[in-house]
Amino acid sequence: MQYRQVQTIGGMFNSALRGLATDKQGLLYAAGDSQIKVFDAAGHLKRRWATARPAHSVAVADDGSVYVGQEGQIEIFDGVPWRNPELLGRVTAIGFTKDSVLAADSVGRVIRRFGRTGKFLNNIGADNPVKGFLIPNGVLDFAVDAQGLIHAANPGKHRVERYSPAGELLGHIGRFDGNDPAGFTGCCNPTNVAVSDRIYVTEKAVPRAKAYDFDGNLLAVIAVAHASACRAGTHAGACPEAVFDPNVKNMSIAAGLQGRVYVVDTVKLAILAFEPVAS
Amino acid sequence: MSDLTRRDLLGTAIRGSVLAAMGGGALFLVRKAHGQILWQVDAARCINSRLGEVGVEACSLCTTECVVALSAVRAVNEYSKCGRCNICPAYFNITSPVNELGQPSEKLCPRDAILRKPIGKVDPEDPANNFYEYLIDEAKCDGCGKCVLKCKEPLGLGSIVLKVRYDLCVNCNRCAISEKCPKDALRQLSVGQALG
Repeated sequence: MQYRQVQTIGGMFNSALRGLATDKQGLLYAAGDSQIKVFDAAGHLKRRWATARPAHSVAVADDGSVYVGQEGQIEIFDGVPWRNPELLGRVTAIGFTKDSVLAADSVGRVIRRFGRTGKFLNNIGADNPVKGFLIPNGVLDFAVDAQGLIHAANPGKHRVERYSPAGELLGHIGRFDGNDPAGFTGCCNPTNVAVSDRIYVTEKAVPRAKAYDFDGNLLAVIAVAHASACRAGTHAGACPEAVFDPNVKNMSIAAGLQGRVYVVDTVKLAILAFEPVAS
Repeated sequence: MSDLTRRDLLGTAIRGSVLAAMGGGALFLVRKAHGQILWQVDAARCINSRLGEVGVEACSLCTTECVVALSAVRAVNEYSKCGRCNICPAYFNITSPVNELGQPSEKLCPRDAILRKPIGKVDPEDPANNFYEYLIDEAKCDGCGKCVLKCKEPLGLGSIVLKVRYDLCVNCNRCAISEKCPKDALRQLSVGQALG
């Protein structure tokens, strides 16, 4: 399986581009600087607005409300912000289950689960000897699948862990490997994750975006920064062109409609769109 | 009369400049003699630690050029920046084959100068469920910079840097490493700057 780059959205952010999300209509929401910008499938800017604090993450609820993760709070458009510096140290990912809102607190290294009105319910990922996720990169990212299960990147363990909303660890995919593209390399990968009918991840050093099935089988290396990211072997001959800056890390990733995947290049401050190539 | 005055003024200025330069030089020598001027590695210049350099080999001039046996430069882990990772790219050769523990089978340091210690009790069912402390054995380290390069962002967190150890450095007037360093990363600093 191969992907090809179909779009680049650049020049829209000045100093930081941190979070991506898509909605049911396929619109793309980007969080960076102190702004949210919304793009259509053609990459045209449709809306933009300022946030109260620098935006670290963004998510769109089923009712169309836009939740923006920041330091100490979640800002809701249009609604009343949830301020809680203790539970929302720095919100680097937001997601939704049927009856709850999930926020990744990268300061506390856990995912916080709240009721729809903002009442704290439980932590996810804290019940282990290290009291949270191992995130040396300072970003905690997760995504919620169609069944309402939470897939969280745990880069220090080289895994994507699967949790119930109540916080029970159900399993994981991933393993360390510095050579095989199916593994996660370096000290701490993957850094970011998205879920649709597949699990998408990004890694740093060497930067790459990849797709897995839910059993942890590598489906595709979507894009890389160095050709060395696809070593001879499993993906020889099918390695995509190098598109990312080699110094990127914490590349937010989002799944769009019809298999499209959006990835942030945090150095170029650009959003790159990829689509699967029909075999 | 005005020509003489101008000449006098010019001469005075030149003599003053020479005296000031001699005074400055003398002050420098006095400060150096008293250990107030020190050589130190500027991590922002060193090719092993400066950000943005990718695809380069580790520079080992601090090892090969220093007049001190084994070099006066050591790798130093700044613990406040260290991620305490289970798999540290400065400790392991991360491209070596994976062993039965799911870790790289080889260490990176050619002198085995980095020690890896679990922090707290190791989870027997999942060794990844732990923080690890990385200590540099300075009796073994020769400042080759291999671990520094692998600890650099974005692969690592940049917690390991090269530093001149003042108890080893003989404080040469012209540091042999600085003569060869392509990035001019060996700098003379005042004690205050060096410790700051």
